[in-house]
Amino acid sequence: MSWREAWRLADPAYTELAFQAIYAVRQGNLLPPDARGSLSARARRRVLQSKALVSAVLGLVSLGGIVVLSPVFETIFVAIMPRGLYVAAMFSAILVIELTLLWWTGLQVLPAFLAAGIVPLLSTLPVAPATLRRASLILFLRLFDVPVATCLILTPLAVGIALGSVAAALVAVPAVLSVAVFALALALVTGRFFVRRVQGARGGHRETLLRWTYLVLWAIPAFAMYAFIEIAPAFVRIIAGLTVTGPSSLLDLIFATYPLPFASLPTFAAGLPTSGTLSGHPRYGLDALPVVLGLLAYSAAVLGVGRWLAAAPTRLAAEPGATAGAGPVNLVVRPGRLSVAVLRKDLRTASRTPGFAFLILLPLLSSAALGLWTFASDPPARESFDLAVGAIATTTFLATFFGPAFFAIEVMGYSYTRTLPLPERGVLWGKVALAVLIYLVAGALLIGFTVLRGFPPGLFLAFVAAELPAIVAASTLELGLLFRRARRTGLPIVNLFAGAWWAALVSVPGLIVAGAPLVLYYALAPSGTTGAIVALALGSLAEFAVFVPATVGPGGRRAA
Amino acid sequence: MGSDIPAPPRSPPLLVDHLHVRYGERVAVEELTFRIGPGEIYGLLGSNGAGKSSTIKSVVGLVRPGAGSIRVFGRDPMTDPLGVKALLGYVPESTLLFDALTPREFLEFVASVRRLPAALANERLAAYARAFQVDAEFEQPLATLSNGTRQKVLVIAAFLHQPSLLVLDEPLNNLDPRSVRIMKELLAQYVRDGTRGVLFSTHTMEVAEQLCHRVGILDHGRLRGEGSLADLRRQVAAGDATLESIFLRLTSEEEGVREAVRSLGGG
Repeated sequence: MSWREAWRLADPAYTELAFQAIYAVRQGNLLPPDARGSLSARARRRVLQSKALVSAVLGLVSLGGIVVLSPVFETIFVAIMPRGLYVAAMFSAILVIELTLLWWTGLQVLPAFLAAGIVPLLSTLPVAPATLRRASLILFLRLFDVPVATCLILTPLAVGIALGSVAAALVAVPAVLSVAVFALALALVTGRFFVRRVQGARGGHRETLLRWTYLVLWAIPAFAMYAFIEIAPAFVRIIAGLTVTGPSSLLDLIFATYPLPFASLPTFAAGLPTSGTLSGHPRYGLDALPVVLGLLAYSAAVLGVGRWLAAAPTRLAAEPGATAGAGPVNLVVRPGRLSVAVLRKDLRTASRTPGFAFLILLPLLSSAALGLWTFASDPPARESFDLAVGAIATTTFLATFFGPAFFAIEVMGYSYTRTLPLPERGVLWGKVALAVLIYLVAGALLIGFTVLRGFPPGLFLAFVAAELPAIVAASTLELGLLFRRARRTGLPIVNLFAGAWWAALVSVPGLIVAGAPLVLYYALAPSGTTGAIVALALGSLAEFAVFVPATVGPGGRRAA
Repeated sequence: MGSDIPAPPRSPPLLVDHLHVRYGERVAVEELTFRIGPGEIYGLLGSNGAGKSSTIKSVVGLVRPGAGSIRVFGRDPMTDPLGVKALLGYVPESTLLFDALTPREFLEFVASVRRLPAALANERLAAYARAFQVDAEFEQPLATLSNGTRQKVLVIAAFLHQPSLLVLDEPLNNLDPRSVRIMKELLAQYVRDGTRGVLFSTHTMEVAEQLCHRVGILDHGRLRGEGSLADLRRQVAAGDATLESIFLRLTSEEEGVREAVRSLGGG
């Protein structure tokens, strides 16, 4: 049974997968009424465009390595740690970012991979199990082909250029390969967890609470990677600190932790110093032993995971779908206002859909982690306030950036929803309410930590309230643009992966609207916090007054 | 009766006039004209691809007609989509809906959109859920349920607000015999007050014969015959013909069926 036959099977299956990802017919969507020509070709083209977008982000991260690994950038840290350690720490940060992005991409495409039902269909054909396994693997790998290829080519290139060493570039290849293998495996494992424990979970208050608890537990590892990006400079400083105190088992332990053994390879290949004397003080480095042991262990893990990965897509796709257990039955419904009904539907959908759940939890966990960081690092009250303001500004951007994602929930049962007397305004307010809810919960988490820190939360509360109208204005504008497009094409954005172009495009005006009052605040803050918050509130309210009526004005009673 | 649903006006439940539906180059429905009177169950019959679903999707506002007009109790779905949708209850051909919601969560959403008071919604919901025996699965996500159960949930959603016009696209697909029987009784009862209407598509002749006051036979997007069983028998000049043989005659498929059976070795 040849790989060629597997490829022959996988190719039309990939077209079907692209078709389902874009048009979501099996999720209850309708094909565009003016459909002509090859819809399949159009679907493949759009999936390629989305892969290109994810790859562009990965490419930026990879090529960013040229800058952050260069001696020029290193001058920030050069006085405190040997260059070899700096390169290893920063390269590992790049690898973690790539791992997170690939994993996140996987979370987006995995539901489409499972829902399309292609592998069970292929398994009814008279093909050998080995061929079926290969075809499923090819199909699964093709979902990641361009992003993974981008990392595999550009990252070693960036390392080679930054360190001026061909050998360093070559040893960066296995590092990136390990990232790809682990990211794909993580996507499959977490996807399976979702299908089993979350997607099929029963309704009801207790079960909903349990489901969100599962979701938080599930998001923490992914979030830890994200947090690592935010605290990477602090991480580099911690390593630098350990080099001062002398040979340390903690330093050895850190360098034995994935991905540092792989990330240390370019340092050794380029012959960079891992110890020495800086500013007249000795700087202790690390032994090669923990790196070598780590390399052996993780190489074995990569091989093991790779072998598992070869068969896992077939097994996972062929497993029976989610099944709910028995439990008490509740027939009572509580009909409410339209926008509340939309909000509830979206939260319930998100709680059983990995991509959406991740987007809702990311800003919340980010706020919790930053609050905890602020609290634990014990800065002076003024600095705490600035950190909390910075955190809520980050949440602002996340809430508006991910706003368009909530529109994608509408694809589920879209053709049915369009037969209900559901005014566009009701749907729009429901989605805006979700963005506002995320912002407010994140704000509340931060306020909780500021109170714990012992500085008066009044100013911070005022800051959160002042920015709120801008959040509403930005979300309304983004969603209004998306509704306009949906009306024109008859299709909502299908999922974040397939509709990433639109999500990104629409986020640009949203980010400008959400960000403009913050720019005003930061410009005026040096001359007084209270005045800056008043200016922030005025700017925010002005945007609300302009964008909200313009978006939901006369057309708001239109059917969704 | 539904709380916010306007009382049906005097115009007929449905008027379809010279309807055209196209998908790119392909014509799905052509020059289709028919009317559903108050208290009437109207069946649209046709083979696969005859244009039944396209007609129904135009009525419920999912497909924009190329030409012609549709009026639901005198209202135009193109100019007053929300008004028309408030009068309609719809069961789609496929059971694809919000997989991530449970029947209770889905029906709560529908009841909210239909602006039903909680007490009324709960009273009806409990009655329908027990009648169709879906109460035990009310807290399980739709993704985990069988097609039959999903179909029952869609039927409940369509009846929940007691609409003035029911539009049912192959509603008996996937249903067990018990539920089919309930559905037939329910529809007959539903139009008895002489104000409501039902548009019903099927390719099962027995069901249409038992249930529909009048049927329209669609073939390649065109109406080939229309009326009660007696009208259609007169039309094909066959006094005791079944609806199936009338259908095959009007769609010129009789010879095609014989030829197909011959080619498959059946005589």
